[in-house]
Amino acid sequence: MSTVTWITARGLFGRSRFLMLLPLPLVLIGLAVLCRSLGVDPGQWGPPVLVGLGLAVVLPVVALIVGTGVLGAEIDDGTVVHILTKPLPRWQIVLPKLAVAAGVTAVTVGVPIYVAGVLADSVRLGLALVAASAAGALAYSALFLALSLVTRRPVLLGLVYVLIWEGLLGRFVSGTRVLSIQQWVIALADRMAPTPLLGTTVSVPVAAVLTALVAVGFTVLAIDRLRSFSVAGETS
Amino acid sequence: MSDATGVIHDIGYQRYTGPRLGRRQVFGALYLHGVRTVFGLGRSAKAKIFPWLVVSVVTVVAAGVTAVRSQIGEVVMTYAQFADAMSWLVIFFAAVAAPELVSRDLRSGVLPLYFSRPLPRGDYALSKLLALVTALWLLLGGPQLVMFLGAAFTTNRGVRGVWDELLDLLPGLLYAGLWAVVFASIALLVASLTGKRAFAAGGIVAVFLMTTPVVGVLSILPSQTINQLAFVASPPTLVGGVGNWALGDRLTQGRGGMPIGDFGPVYAVAAVLLVAGCVALLLLRYRKVAAR
Repeated sequence: MSTVTWITARGLFGRSRFLMLLPLPLVLIGLAVLCRSLGVDPGQWGPPVLVGLGLAVVLPVVALIVGTGVLGAEIDDGTVVHILTKPLPRWQIVLPKLAVAAGVTAVTVGVPIYVAGVLADSVRLGLALVAASAAGALAYSALFLALSLVTRRPVLLGLVYVLIWEGLLGRFVSGTRVLSIQQWVIALADRMAPTPLLGTTVSVPVAAVLTALVAVGFTVLAIDRLRSFSVAGETS
Repeated sequence: MSDATGVIHDIGYQRYTGPRLGRRQVFGALYLHGVRTVFGLGRSAKAKIFPWLVVSVVTVVAAGVTAVRSQIGEVVMTYAQFADAMSWLVIFFAAVAAPELVSRDLRSGVLPLYFSRPLPRGDYALSKLLALVTALWLLLGGPQLVMFLGAAFTTNRGVRGVWDELLDLLPGLLYAGLWAVVFASIALLVASLTGKRAFAAGGIVAVFLMTTPVVGVLSILPSQTINQLAFVASPPTLVGGVGNWALGDRLTQGRGGMPIGDFGPVYAVAAVLLVAGCVALLLLRYRKVAAR
């Protein structure tokens, strides 16, 4: 485990604001347990909880906060200079940070969504959701990590993507769904455990290829941007 | 002991003897500065991107709705429904604006400078809150005015038609005010908890998005009472419920409102309690921050 990994993990968990992430998974589990204990038909509560809350809100929001935090926080307070001046290749900085971001996101989202998936249908659905959301966590983290290097307002741009592209346009304009990580995750999960609970218009090969492409492409972009990174003050 | 040789020279500094503006002017200045901050006026071009992006999108939508109505004569959405349809953009706008208003001051540690003036703790928080309310209301009310102007100029019933249109607009503006108050108080409370704008923006969006699916789940539980009370759980639907009860037919214009049953007053009480609770916590927060 490299030092960069260690520093990044400590930067994430060392502050009390990490506790801000906890309510999201807890609500997910709480709703699933509530519905299950009241005996509501899974076909009714499955889509709003698993997709509406789990894959459409918890996954992107956690990935956004963690993914822009691993490097963005250091850029914000200027301590990124300490890492940049070490004789490290840039990929040895980006990859550990990406690994921590994706790992933390995958665990934070995976545990509650596994519980919800098992309660909704079967262990198979739970495992499929965990695997798909882990792939989604990697893609989202790569995207948001690259965003925090491309722009000084990564969270707001990320929110534009999550809220307006995936949330608003994805609901009304079906064409944008092909380019939506959320839909790819749903497609992958549906392929691994076919249930009527998940449904999407994106085909599985397209989803798999695009997920890999986004994960690799934005990682390469992040490494490239970090090569010629200039440290500046806070935006006005 | 030598004699004192030092002399204090009078180098001409003068005391300020003019009128001193009081608390109201401080409040007014802070409020005006807050409204300008939200829209990025008097700041760099980068600060204007996100607010004006949202403003332009809602205006374009309003213009489109107006155009459809004047050409085809079909009412796509009423004034109040416009606020509902724009809810995601309002959330985004609040997530942009609230951290700009309070998180920057927390982060750069300028609060002691503010509070060394004759400015009570509560006034600072309330002026920021009022600024955010105003900005959100303008965001929702401005496009409604565009829709009204479009409808007023294309009406074929003369002054009578304009008057009817105005009677439709006023509840819409009132409803937009309700949206603004509820959203601003929640967003500002969340933003005042952290000095990092990034975390504040994420937190605000998380609060609003997280509660929406809760409504979806509560409204399918096997109990009619819970179903009718489900919309309390999320701020946007809570506002919708209050509007449904208070404005009734004016809001929906016979297009099926929310199934809230007889619980309208409960929604109103819940909204008042929510806003009051958020404002109280905000004032409490600034009492603590100021003491540091």
